[in-house]
Amino acid sequence: MNKALVILQKEWLELRGERTLLLTLIIPPLILTLMPLVVISAIGRTPDEDTRQLGAVVADPAFAGLSERELGQAVLGKQFGLLFLLMPLLVPSVIASYSIVGEKTNRTLEPLLATPVRTWELLLGKCLASLIPAIAITWTTALIFVLALRLVVVSDRVYQVIVSGSWVLLLLLSAPSLALIMVAATVAISGRVNDPRSAQQIAAVVVVPLLALFFAQLIGVLVLSPLLAIIAGAALAFLAALALGGANVLFERENILTRWS
Amino acid sequence: MHAIETYELTRAFGDRVAVDHLTLAAPRGAVFGFLGPNGAGKTTTVRMLAALIAPTSGSAVIEGNRLGVSDQEIRRRVGLLTESPGLYDRLSARQNLVFFARLYDLDAHRAEAQAERYLRMLGLWERRDDPVGGFSRGMRQKLAIARALSHDPPVLFLDEPTAGLDPEAARTVREFIKELRTEGRTIFLTTHNLPEADELCDLIAVFRTRLLRIGAPATLRAELFGRGTRVQLAGDDAAFLHVARNLAFVHAAEVAGDTLHVALDDPDDQNPHLVRALVEAGAAVRYVEAREHSLEDVYLQLVRGGEATA
Repeated sequence: MNKALVILQKEWLELRGERTLLLTLIIPPLILTLMPLVVISAIGRTPDEDTRQLGAVVADPAFAGLSERELGQAVLGKQFGLLFLLMPLLVPSVIASYSIVGEKTNRTLEPLLATPVRTWELLLGKCLASLIPAIAITWTTALIFVLALRLVVVSDRVYQVIVSGSWVLLLLLSAPSLALIMVAATVAISGRVNDPRSAQQIAAVVVVPLLALFFAQLIGVLVLSPLLAIIAGAALAFLAALALGGANVLFERENILTRWS
Repeated sequence: MHAIETYELTRAFGDRVAVDHLTLAAPRGAVFGFLGPNGAGKTTTVRMLAALIAPTSGSAVIEGNRLGVSDQEIRRRVGLLTESPGLYDRLSARQNLVFFARLYDLDAHRAEAQAERYLRMLGLWERRDDPVGGFSRGMRQKLAIARALSHDPPVLFLDEPTAGLDPEAARTVREFIKELRTEGRTIFLTTHNLPEADELCDLIAVFRTRLLRIGAPATLRAELFGRGTRVQLAGDDAAFLHVARNLAFVHAAEVAGDTLHVALDDPDDQNPHLVRALVEAGAAVRYVEAREHSLEDVYLQLVRGGEATA
């Protein structure tokens, strides 16, 4: 465990020097946070009658009794709320791909593997280096969203629909698992590609199920409830454990060393 | 007691055999030169001995630890200088060393102390907080050597330690290796620089997938080329050729230019007799010197000839 922390510390020291990478980590989450606030604020001033026909509005009782101005904000706000689940996928894919492929480009992997560090310690250190910022950025931007939302919503009811218990639960339970799945996928893929971008692009496939969730909610096929949030959290935790185990198996020190030379 | 012992050590990658039944022993405290052409399997051998990759068959014992059984202990007891320095460019020299020292189980305080010790020893202390990305090739190589030593391993694998260095930096590294030898460490040196191997190594193995020959540099020369003496005479050398040839201990004698080349077993004992015989026959001796073959001659003879003696 101690060596995993040593690796974590080194990863962050390196990350501090990568200014472009840091910007890549900060700017997209900021856009994903501020853009919804601007759009929600604007939609509150231009109510649309057609919103009542949306599948989401018909299926979800939380929208019952809302005025047209409120409805537009509430529907959009709920959809944008799901975008915060993209953050734990976005951040670790950037860090983890540079972290693993960077060892290749620096030719540091051989001296690193020559030390008595175990594979799980190496992977744990690298996973934590991506996971902690991912969760921190996700929850911080979500907090900013929650606080700023109060300033742009037209009523308290809209706020309660968007910042629902189910959404908070989903974010708290699923963000760490989603980040872990992305880290594991990136680590496994990074061992087989030659540049960080390839690893990010292949790992981006993990985003597809999340987009399915986004559209399922929009058309009313899926209505988020506390129970569903807990089930999703548990399922993702199970998948994360599987993904980490898989990454540990796929990260074959010897093959990576001989193939990367 | 040997620091490194291998028995029939073999590694294949698919159908290609990189190391074929390698059996050798490196005595503790010796500088062991491992010479061979590019693609001979030297790096694969070093990787096996450093417990980075597993052998296909055969066995090895490093500092009493069996490969494949005590790999973690082997990693703790060896230091490895890889062909490329492999340093984190965005970290400082000190951060690089402390990071690796801590992975070798040193606590933070001792890791810092070791980093300071080797940075000072290799003349990098003044640049300790500079990012390594701005270092010259020579500085990076010195830092990589310091990294290999940061946990004070009894066995050190150095892969081409002076490759690509300017003469001054190469000399510094060579002097440092000599200093390490006095500390009793076993150094397994892979190099293409034959004069360097000649200067540093107690024992040399010439290798091309298989072990071609192993021995002390002087022994290899003697085994391959025999020993001999060059005698430069004033006047007609050919006239004294028969004098040398008539001596019982002389195996062969010939004249090239103004020099008489004499092959014999033990120049230390037999040269006085040779010189006395020549002088008594009326020869005017200008110079007498050992007939030396370079390690390059030995290497080329073995590698080109593909002679196989394990």
